Amino acid sequence: MNDSMSIPHLIMNASLVVQLVMLLLLAASIASWVVIFQRSFALARAKKAQKAFDERFWSGIDLNELYQDVPEGYEAEGAEHVFRAGFREFNRLVPKTRSSEAVLDGVQRSQRVALSREEDRLNSHLTLLATVASASPYIGLFGTVWGIMGSFQSLSMAQQATLSTVAPWIAEALVATAMGLFAAIPAVIFYNRLSSIASRLLGEYEDFAEEFHSILHRNLQGRGGNQAA
Amino acid sequence: MAKRTRRVGYGLPVVLAIGVHILALLLTLLRLPESEPTPSSSSVVQATLISDVTATDQAQYAEEARARAAQRQAEEEAQQQAQQAAEQQAQEQARQQAAEQQAEEEAARQAAAEQAEAEAQRREQAAQQAAAERAEAERRQQAAEAERQAEIKRQQAEEAKRQAEAEKKRQEEEAEKQRQAEAEKKRQEEEAEKQRQAEAEKKRQQEEAEKRRQAEAEKKRQQEAAEAAAKAAAQEALNDSIANEQERIANAQQSDQASNNFINLVKRAVEDQWHLPASADNGLVAQVRVRLGPSGELLAASLTRSSGNPSFDRSAIQAVEAAAPFRELQQLDAGLQRRFRDFNLRFTPGDIQ
Repeated sequence: MNDSMSIPHLIMNASLVVQLVMLLLLAASIASWVVIFQRSFALARAKKAQKAFDERFWSGIDLNELYQDVPEGYEAEGAEHVFRAGFREFNRLVPKTRSSEAVLDGVQRSQRVALSREEDRLNSHLTLLATVASASPYIGLFGTVWGIMGSFQSLSMAQQATLSTVAPWIAEALVATAMGLFAAIPAVIFYNRLSSIASRLLGEYEDFAEEFHSILHRNLQGRGGNQAA
Repeated sequence: MAKRTRRVGYGLPVVLAIGVHILALLLTLLRLPESEPTPSSSSVVQATLISDVTATDQAQYAEEARARAAQRQAEEEAQQQAQQAAEQQAQEQARQQAAEQQAEEEAARQAAAEQAEAEAQRREQAAQQAAAERAEAERRQQAAEAERQAEIKRQQAEEAKRQAEAEKKRQEEEAEKQRQAEAEKKRQEEEAEKQRQAEAEKKRQQEEAEKRRQAEAEKKRQQEAAEAAAKAAAQEALNDSIANEQERIANAQQSDQASNNFINLVKRAVEDQWHLPASADNGLVAQVRVRLGPSGELLAASLTRSSGNPSFDRSAIQAVEAAAPFRELQQLDAGLQRRFRDFNLRFTPGDIQ
């Protein structure tokens, strides 16, 4: 009784379609967990980097110094990326034009591009989590429905319809739903959590972009040769 | 400064994800066998014997299972005791019968001797008195003995005693009648015979003394034997009656329990194999007569009372056929086995549909 109703036994005895569904759900679950871990680490790191850059930026360091103090081949992330994109554009535009409007427009544009790249990076693979969270219950349900269809088909051939003839079929069909939920529940929870972290980080980047933009604006307004504050 | 953390790799997340799944699988494997209790069997099949109806309750299952080993021992002991008691009884009866036979034979022999002597007396008056006296003495002894035996036997076994007493009384009455007749004859003849008696008396006395001695010795021997037998028999009878009583009680309990036990086993086996047809109502009752072979194999399962629903009837018979053989039958007593070789099972669907 115990042996025949254990979950591995049920999985082994399921029909092919149900087994395929289960395999798909297992893959989805593993993939979602990979994404969960990878995103968690990445976002934690991004948060840390953001904090460090924040401290560094507001420590009163010279912006040129901050811009140039970078190793070769380094691709900045987060707020630093926004800063670097904006500052590079600023440095390029200031010698070419006298119009502060044009300079600020250019800086804003380049910052917007950097922000959108950052947003893309932060939210990358989170859609996979969202897909798993929303689709895997339906996939599991499909497996269950298929298994129960099979059970009723076999029931029509049996002479006596008792609970004990239907029970194994239904049990192994329900395993599919269980697996769907098993994949979906963590995906939903972590999707919400990770996307909220990502959007908060993005908000911080935007705030920084605005602040940096206002600093540049202040510099342009009161400039008389000295560009960097 | 931030050179080391260009990108977060996928190696560690993959390992962790697989670890999570293996952990979940292990948890299901570990917890499931523990958390799944065996479903209690609902009593759907009502089993009744043809010969006796036993009251079955669920609580007895466990109790009986525990006590079964002890019961079996007790059964064996009881059987041994019963055998011993039976042997003792048989021996005792044989002894009693032998004693009775002896007594009867003796009585018959003596009666024959008396008759012969009476005739001889009639013919030979001289020899008559001696024989008469001898016969008298013997008769007296015999009567006393018979009385004693009769008394003992009355205590031992009433029926046998009553017969023996009746016989003995009859014999005694006859003997008395003869004695009276002889005494009358003797009295008439005595006067004439005195002279002859005087002469023959000494010889006769000697002979008589010898005979008496022999007779007495024989008597004593018989008495002793009879007394010993009687005592032993009385004690044995008492012991037997006690043992019988105990045995009867023990047997009754054992057979009750054993029959309950077996009935429950059969019921559960049949219940497990019984698949109710979908069309079965609650009110259906089918009765199946089950005949078993000596080792518990199914000889025949026949419908004795149809429920009116053929598929229900068929399911009941199939359940019995699927549940057979009932090997537990071999563990029962021979007497119980015979009873359980043929019994009725009544099928009534409970609330399982």
